[in-house]
Amino acid sequence: MKRLVLLIIPWLLLLFCGTQATAAAKPFTEYIYNPGTLPAIASELKVSVGQTAPDFTLSSVAGTSVTLSQFRGKHNVVLSFVPAAWTPVCSDQWPGYNIARSFFDNHDAILLGITVDNIPTLYAWTRQMGELWFDVLSDFYPHGHVADSYGVLRTDGTAERALIFINKEGILTGIYVSDINVRPPLETVVAELAKMSGK
Amino acid sequence: MKRLSSLLVTAFFVFFIAFPIIVSADETGEPLPNLTLKVPDNDAYRDYLGLKGQPGEDFTFEDIDADVLLIQLFSMYCPFCQEEAPNVNALHQAMLDFSQQDFKVKIIGLGANNSEFEIDHFRNTYDVKFPLFPDQDMSMYNTLGGKGTPGFIGSRKGDDNHYSIVLRQSGGFYQVEEFFNELLRKSGYN
Repeated sequence: MKRLVLLIIPWLLLLFCGTQATAAAKPFTEYIYNPGTLPAIASELKVSVGQTAPDFTLSSVAGTSVTLSQFRGKHNVVLSFVPAAWTPVCSDQWPGYNIARSFFDNHDAILLGITVDNIPTLYAWTRQMGELWFDVLSDFYPHGHVADSYGVLRTDGTAERALIFINKEGILTGIYVSDINVRPPLETVVAELAKMSGK
Repeated sequence: MKRLSSLLVTAFFVFFIAFPIIVSADETGEPLPNLTLKVPDNDAYRDYLGLKGQPGEDFTFEDIDADVLLIQLFSMYCPFCQEEAPNVNALHQAMLDFSQQDFKVKIIGLGANNSEFEIDHFRNTYDVKFPLFPDQDMSMYNTLGGKGTPGFIGSRKGDDNHYSIVLRQSGGFYQVEEFFNELLRKSGYN
């Protein structure tokens, strides 16, 4: 019995330490690839405020198919294009929106996150953000065709860091293409939401 | 004897291989850069920090009436900071419960690359009661040697009114009591 106890104690300690190690290691963003400072914008817009937003259908990480026009007459829509999974600024932009749902709800807006990554990559990447309340869509194949239809597909095949605001009539009310290296401030999103909803 | 040897090998692995992974804080003893912030509008924050200046005026870390000052580096956008927020709130409460007139432990948060609007949203979302300040250009984060968020820098005020860094931690602490005790111990509190 004494021998059993002596053998078990170190392994219980190991189990305890192992659990703590996982927790302690979690915040380290060692899996994020840092591409360095990139050209601020590397595309040319193909849409403008006041025109009808190009329709599209994309697959979501949740396993559904999402069509922009399905929201017409029902909800305002915000498209959040981000350049790529597992990169520095993108990896915290959506977690920020994850605690900003009330702003979107107040303006009856649906948020759709879009990148040109494939579904498995987006699945792995977004899982470590916690449970996102909005759909994340893959514009992977044909590569970046939706980003390209809005003119936010960069010359290197990634998307711009762009926010597109579309009202219930399907009309573009705001287009905000930010420097790819900089996250757009939340107050900009809130101001554009107000403009879009008229509230 | 053979059994004892295997036991010792296992124990060695546990303590010298696995344990260091959880120890992310280290003592440095270096001076805490005496950075400048704006006196908050909020009366309760001014009282908490013991500031005599008027809202909008400058103050420095050394003006904060604390024996031990913990600086939290956070971001509204950081999911781990969001996850850690209830723990940090509990730590703040533990500091309030512990502090006496002759020994005060306080905490402030610096929002790395966050605007005033963004730190307000973080404060409201998590009901943060201690003062948070924006560090939109990350100049304070960089001067303090930040290495990711959440991060913590603990410092002890000396007789010369200067703070010295006693603890640095990258990542969350998860165990409130354990972390608070470590901060006190490294600050020389007995």
